[in-house]
Amino acid sequence: MQTTLTALAVIAVGYILAYLVFDRLRDSFGYVGGAEYIVIGFLLGPRVTGLLGAGQVQDLTPIVSLALGWLGMLLGTYFRLPTMALIEADHLRVAFAEACTTFGTALAALIGIFHYVVGYPWPEATVQAVTLAAVATLSSPAAIDAVTRKASQRSPLLPVLQLTARLDALVAVTAFGLILAIFHQGQVSPSVRPPTATEWAVINVAVGVASGVLFHLFLEHRGSLDEPEGSSRLFVALAGAIVVASGASYYLNLSPIYTNLVLGFILANSGGTHRDVTRLLLVTERPVYLALLIFAGAAWSPSSPELLFIAPLFVIVRLAARFTGGWIAGAVVAPPELRTPKLGRALLAQGGIAVALAVNYTQVRSDLNPDLILTATLVSVLLFDIVASRETGEVVDQATSDARRGDTSAPDPLAS
Amino acid sequence: MIRRLVVLMLLVGGAVLLEPLRAPTEGVIAPRSLFLFGILLLTADTFGALAHDLRLPRLLGYLVAGLALGPSLAGIVPAGVLEDLSMMKRLAVGLIGLLAGAELRLADLKERHRTILLVLVFEMTAVLAVLLGTTLLVQHWLPFLQGLEPGPLFFVALLFAVLLTVNSPMVTLALLTETGARGPLAKTTLSVVLLADVVVILLFTGAFSLARSSVAGTSEAATEILFGLMREMLGSIAAGALIGAVVTLYLRFVKRELVLFAVVVVFAVAAAAEALHFELLLSLLVAGFLVENVAPVRAEPLVDALHQTAVPVFVIFFAMAGAELQVREFLAVWPLVVVVALARMGAIFGSSRTAARIARAEPVVQQYGWTGLVSQAGVALSLSVIVADRLPLVGLAMQTLAVGIIAFNETVGPVLFRRGLERAGEVVVS
Repeated sequence: MQTTLTALAVIAVGYILAYLVFDRLRDSFGYVGGAEYIVIGFLLGPRVTGLLGAGQVQDLTPIVSLALGWLGMLLGTYFRLPTMALIEADHLRVAFAEACTTFGTALAALIGIFHYVVGYPWPEATVQAVTLAAVATLSSPAAIDAVTRKASQRSPLLPVLQLTARLDALVAVTAFGLILAIFHQGQVSPSVRPPTATEWAVINVAVGVASGVLFHLFLEHRGSLDEPEGSSRLFVALAGAIVVASGASYYLNLSPIYTNLVLGFILANSGGTHRDVTRLLLVTERPVYLALLIFAGAAWSPSSPELLFIAPLFVIVRLAARFTGGWIAGAVVAPPELRTPKLGRALLAQGGIAVALAVNYTQVRSDLNPDLILTATLVSVLLFDIVASRETGEVVDQATSDARRGDTSAPDPLAS
Repeated sequence: MIRRLVVLMLLVGGAVLLEPLRAPTEGVIAPRSLFLFGILLLTADTFGALAHDLRLPRLLGYLVAGLALGPSLAGIVPAGVLEDLSMMKRLAVGLIGLLAGAELRLADLKERHRTILLVLVFEMTAVLAVLLGTTLLVQHWLPFLQGLEPGPLFFVALLFAVLLTVNSPMVTLALLTETGARGPLAKTTLSVVLLADVVVILLFTGAFSLARSSVAGTSEAATEILFGLMREMLGSIAAGALIGAVVTLYLRFVKRELVLFAVVVVFAVAAAAEALHFELLLSLLVAGFLVENVAPVRAEPLVDALHQTAVPVFVIFFAMAGAELQVREFLAVWPLVVVVALARMGAIFGSSRTAARIARAEPVVQQYGWTGLVSQAGVALSLSVIVADRLPLVGLAMQTLAVGIIAFNETVGPVLFRRGLERAGEVVVS
């Protein structure tokens, strides 16, 4: 009894302390993350109080899969084609260049670390390197949105940053989804021939497309969010859809985030429900993200000591990749009116999808350093989320004053 | 609707196609369980909408969906999957407990205390007496009473009667949420059902210990059990007060992410309840009540947040409850089920009408008050499991019949209560 009460007291005190610390960071740095929820998850989990034992953490899988799929689907709904068609070509070029260069740079460095420094064979090194490169590429729109809300004047850089953050996520989730399919883990029934890497990749996309088409039919004519209890009922249907799609992915040891990204893309581009779906996903994004942080905290355990150096190394790799990607996109690819060599500095926040990828990795590839991937991701998310808002704000302010001096201003493609 | 049913069938078909590509994953909940949980949610949502179109309570649709997919009928959702997902059900019970407690307002209790108390006392006494009488009357057809001496027979029959006196806070809250009812009938029913829940657990404690000691012939063990259960009960109330204090502090100093906070509280309390042996539902009910009525903070934000979670929680709870219903066992004893259930319903009808009339309650309460007291669900099922586990000699056979009666009341009760609310003119959301 005493142990349990002590555990409850530890959680309460720990949470309040974490809340106060991160609240201070919120005031000083414009911190937008939810690190106190990682702390509470860690305190609840088997490593500290054990109130959530290892078995109970596993029992939470339905909620976690819902959270993973939720974030994946929300990302998919961003890519509504009629809206995308209005985006300026220059913006797209900058965003793609930034995302691909960042991913490529991080991947090259991480493959070097895993293969040449740690000594993993190519397949294992590639899976881990691609996963961490995907995590490194992600940039959260939360810091940019926070700056947008504060900004007294609309900067021409903001729409580029918002678009870049979304394309970063697209590149990262697609790379992660494909690597899990190509280096597929797990047995199939003896009655069928094991699919090839290409076939797994096709199956991965097909599950998302089939889910998208079926749920488009399922959600059509459901009534509006504005009807009484409309949001709760849509929530149930959406949660069901996401859990089914995520369940199918888990069933095949693939990535539910990627499957739901495809599902979200199809829902956003078909039928009349896309507005309600997107609205609901946006409203519930934060609680879902925080639930994921709690789970990540509860599931976290330190990596083996000989590999622990990779976590700080990963932070450095990410910083280097971000700056390289930002420099190439902002200084080389960008047109003169958008030229921002320090573009990478504005994209430091990582946010929910990074945690989602790491959690997903721990579930699908529990055989290949899951603790290392989760540790590196959490360390990176915690550090970058603290400084990101301030850095983004400075870059945006600089770009705004440059634009004012040059009397140039780019139209806002997303505003339409 | 047809389109949605076709989509559901295609999803199940798709699952069959994927079956050979299945990759067993160690260390996490079975992927199949997750997929089937999604199917269960979507089917329940569809059947709920269908029930609504037929002017029946949505929760009936959820129950039927669970029953249709569950091990009793189609077997698409096997028993192992339900076990895998038991945490979700516990979460549902906990959140509803917290909401139910917060919905119980001291002002309402004070305003209609006379009606509530009279209905509570009359209904419980009448149901107990009628069920005890009926049980003794049909004892030759009841397998769990066969071969018992008069003393044990009486106490086992009493335990059976107490078990069936329980109402259902889950059904009541689900219907009040669905219909948006806030009138005198809704308020009175909610108060009676929640208070009856506490009283019945006390009664059950006594009846269980008496039955167990008379069957086993060990009075020392009975005292031990009695104290054990009393400790559990008082522990739940004390834990509820503690949880209430924590929730109050959170509402006072943090007041953010309330849905998430409530979910974390429920998980933490569920773990603590298991370790310290107290009742999850009762402790959260007490916590909700204290936060709403005693704490020096405004509980509305929490209540609003809990209301947001209510619909998904009800879908999960009732779909899983439906999947756990045992049709075969019900079919084996259905004549007895109908007799006992009708006797219970008659007792509720007569006693609550009389009590409401004596208390000079509003006409709608006098006329339709009984409709809200017929339903049974989770609490009654949990108590029947306790009897089966701790008194296997008679408990297993008793559980079969009790579950049949609970299933009957779980199905008929919500329909009656919805009709009652409609006729009372309290249904806000049609």
